[in-house]
Amino acid sequence: MGAVIVKALADLRRRRLQATVIFLTVLLAMAAGTTAVTLMSQTRDPYQIAFDKQRGAHLQVAFNATTDPQVLGNTPALIGASASGGPYPASNIQFRFGDRKFYVDAVGRENPRGAVEVLSITSGRWPMANDEIVLTRSFSELNKISLGDRIKVTSVAQTPTLTVVGEAVDIDEGSADLSSQRAWMLPAALPALSSPDSSFYLMDYRFPSDPTSAQLQASLDRLKTSLPPGSVSGALNYLLIRSIFNITNQILTGVLLAFSVFALAATIAIVATLVTGIVISAYREIGIMRAVGFTPYQVVEVFALQIVIPALAACLVGVPAGTLASQPLLANSSHALGLAYTPTFSIGLDLLFLASGLLIVAVAATVPAMRAGLLKPIVAITNASAPRGAGGRLLRQAGTRMRLPRPVVLGIGDAFARPLRAILTLVTVLLGVATVVVAVGLPRSFALINNSETGAGNYQVMVTRSSAYPDSELMRVLNAQPETARVVAIGGQNVIVPAVGDPVTTRLFRGDSSRLGYMVVAGRWYSAPGEVVAPAGLIHDAHLKIGDSFTGTANGQPLQLRLVGETYDINNLGHSLFMDIATMASVTPAVEPFLYDVTLRSGSDVSAYVRRVAAAEPDLLDVRASDTSIIAPVKIIDLVLLVLAGALALIGIGGVFNTLLLNTRERIRDTATLKALGMSPRQVMVATSAALLALVGGLVAMPVGLFLHHLLNDVISSSAGNDTPPGAYAVFNPYELVTIPLLGVGVAIAAALIPGRWAARTNVVEVLHAE
Amino acid sequence: MSELVRLTDVTKVYQGGITGALNGVSVSVEKGEFTAIMGPSGSGKSTLLNMVAGLDRPTSGGVAVGGTDLGKLGEAGLARFRRDHIGFVFQFFYLLPNLTALENVLIPAQLKGNAAAGRARELLERLGIKDIADKYPARMSGGQQQRVAIARALINNPTLLLADEPTGALDTHTGEQVMELLGQLHGDGQTILLVTHDAKLATRHAERVISVMDGKIVDDARLQSPERAPSDVIRVRGEEATRWGP
Repeated sequence: MGAVIVKALADLRRRRLQATVIFLTVLLAMAAGTTAVTLMSQTRDPYQIAFDKQRGAHLQVAFNATTDPQVLGNTPALIGASASGGPYPASNIQFRFGDRKFYVDAVGRENPRGAVEVLSITSGRWPMANDEIVLTRSFSELNKISLGDRIKVTSVAQTPTLTVVGEAVDIDEGSADLSSQRAWMLPAALPALSSPDSSFYLMDYRFPSDPTSAQLQASLDRLKTSLPPGSVSGALNYLLIRSIFNITNQILTGVLLAFSVFALAATIAIVATLVTGIVISAYREIGIMRAVGFTPYQVVEVFALQIVIPALAACLVGVPAGTLASQPLLANSSHALGLAYTPTFSIGLDLLFLASGLLIVAVAATVPAMRAGLLKPIVAITNASAPRGAGGRLLRQAGTRMRLPRPVVLGIGDAFARPLRAILTLVTVLLGVATVVVAVGLPRSFALINNSETGAGNYQVMVTRSSAYPDSELMRVLNAQPETARVVAIGGQNVIVPAVGDPVTTRLFRGDSSRLGYMVVAGRWYSAPGEVVAPAGLIHDAHLKIGDSFTGTANGQPLQLRLVGETYDINNLGHSLFMDIATMASVTPAVEPFLYDVTLRSGSDVSAYVRRVAAAEPDLLDVRASDTSIIAPVKIIDLVLLVLAGALALIGIGGVFNTLLLNTRERIRDTATLKALGMSPRQVMVATSAALLALVGGLVAMPVGLFLHHLLNDVISSSAGNDTPPGAYAVFNPYELVTIPLLGVGVAIAAALIPGRWAARTNVVEVLHAE
Repeated sequence: MSELVRLTDVTKVYQGGITGALNGVSVSVEKGEFTAIMGPSGSGKSTLLNMVAGLDRPTSGGVAVGGTDLGKLGEAGLARFRRDHIGFVFQFFYLLPNLTALENVLIPAQLKGNAAAGRARELLERLGIKDIADKYPARMSGGQQQRVAIARALINNPTLLLADEPTGALDTHTGEQVMELLGQLHGDGQTILLVTHDAKLATRHAERVISVMDGKIVDDARLQSPERAPSDVIRVRGEEATRWGP
């Protein structure tokens, strides 16, 4: 073994505690980074594999039921599609299972095969009779519907009962918790379940190569112009579905990447602090090394290796751990896509990440270690340690003027005795506190957005009406209930917006929709017919700005609209319109609401209300309490954030602890001298030093944390096609802005206990004799 | 005998110093000589030794060892020069605290790329410290530490052994043992340059004593020559001590 390795290993044995700190910080950084990189590199693959395997549709178009199916059969050639499926007769149906009611788009198909949109039957079989239905696995799992269960169709007067005979995975629709779902029956079964206003034809198109968004838009425009006006009633493309599949992993990837950058930055700060500290305290040893023949480069190697060896160990554990941690998320994606899960990772990528991480740590260690290499041997050997830092003098003087106790004054000075070390420690504290701020703030922002999407606190009951049950009758029932304070009825209609590829889902409100809790990001909520609000995704794609007027198309008829505000809505990744139902009545007089958000008077018994209203017509009304629970992907993100904040807080504590340990060791002679002079509370001195570092770090970290919270909100909102509502930023109260840094101080003081205890136990005779 | 060390008009001025630590020193040392450099504290004797070791560079003048002009070597070159040609024994031993005695001895050999475990054990045995081969410096006596330091200095068969107050941190008895050891090494042909303030110790073991004061050589005595005896050197040192006060 070479002298450099012998010396580095011997030093490593002596500095076990510091090696442990390095090991843990690098481990956390590498594990989080590898998870993120693996997710990022592998997320697209499972979808693409499933898309190719199931011959997914690049473009799906819903056509008005009055369109001639024979004409639709010619449309693939019209837009240059290489394969097509359909036209399939389809109808939006409502069914009841237990006391719950659901909407699905029932599609009539003879079999699950075909040139496009091959359905993967994951359990059961394809329908063989008109009273059999196949549901998506995602929908069945979410709503706990099993094979053999019987469901009652309530959207038609006959209310036929169907048996669930199969579960399928359809690559051409998103998961049930984020998207509406399809179900499949024999085509012959469909007429009995359809009503004129809920029927349509579905066409699937596949192109020779993956088209771009612009190409899809062009194809859709071609269809619209080639067919009678109003023929195209809806469209969906693979880019949107892929985004829906990947959105959780994308957000998680962003959060994890941000964390790994933080953790790596903290690691760099800790490594640099550590090596600087070791060099400062090992001046004489450096001199001896040089005297016995170590070259400057070899001296640098000895110091760098002390860091690189534990870092390498951490990388060897962290990279596989991160790869493993990404697997449940990837397995989840595979499951959703109907693919058999196989461990997915890239050894090349892992090795690259390992090498990069190691290189960063090595550079962080080498730069301060070069100071050791550049030391003149005789200077190093003559001076036992580096010249005392002059920093902190002003603080000490200020402390003295303020008549603070002597140990406190000395502690204040100690904290900044070596300014570079103090700055690097502040960086680790800053990153820890900033992550905690993000981890506290982001779930609150999510909750706020979730509340707006679910109407939490604004309405308590949701009633869905079957078309067989008249709107007027339902309104009579609801208004007859003494608890009913307000009813806002909601209908839906697709509107074609210029420059937007797919027809836009539009929510049509009757009643005071401004009190449903939708957040206004900019402008105002609509207040008159003709006015609309929309989320950023649509505004951006339609090249609109608030105040603009534009002409949409509904039912083939022009519709004059004016954008008056921007709202937040994640449905269809921010592509929706909100307007008064009266606006649509001008082109579709028959349009009626089907969903009713009911606000109850304070103190009302929601369950009793739900039971009473449902009893009015159990088959035709779906009455339930508003579901305000947070969706699964957000729960995962919240959990990951919590774990990451804990980890970075630990790294921050490690940074403070490391610095205190170095300071205490470096000042051992001072401590012994002070002890000899009769000073007793050394621990106070160390704790004061820790408290000051944590306080300054915390105070700087608060704005940084708030900025990051702001930034992450924007990134996440943007990935869902929205701008962040102002309220989602302002989730901290002033009390918390003070408390979080103070908590950091408390934790830092706790981290000071070990070095403080060590200082208190310093043996005066041993130390002074050794010096 | 051939010349091993040559200092030519060497001056060393430390930063902020008005006068130099060395002022125009010229001296040479022959191969195989046991030379002691004596002088009071601050006289420049350790500076002179550091120049020879390549640990420090002169402000002006030249230092050559074994024909190598040290001024032409960079830091890495000087390190290689030390490991190949110089053995250094310090007053406070300066063993690397986290290495065992054997590991400390082996370090210069390992730096040179030699597997010298056998020679290291042989040296430890010769110096009477083979029993402490696996001990760390903190568990050794001062005498043992200095013997380990001497073994470390000898591991690469240096051309020149430099010793800076090697007995300064030892009790009289142990100091005497160390000096006898250096004497034996000299007997085996080792060139030794010793810095000490103890005239009796120097005259008893060295064959040449160079006295330094205020950065200048004030006396250079070859003790085996007919015109100079150890007592003369002691007398000179006595006068120096008087000049410097009690």
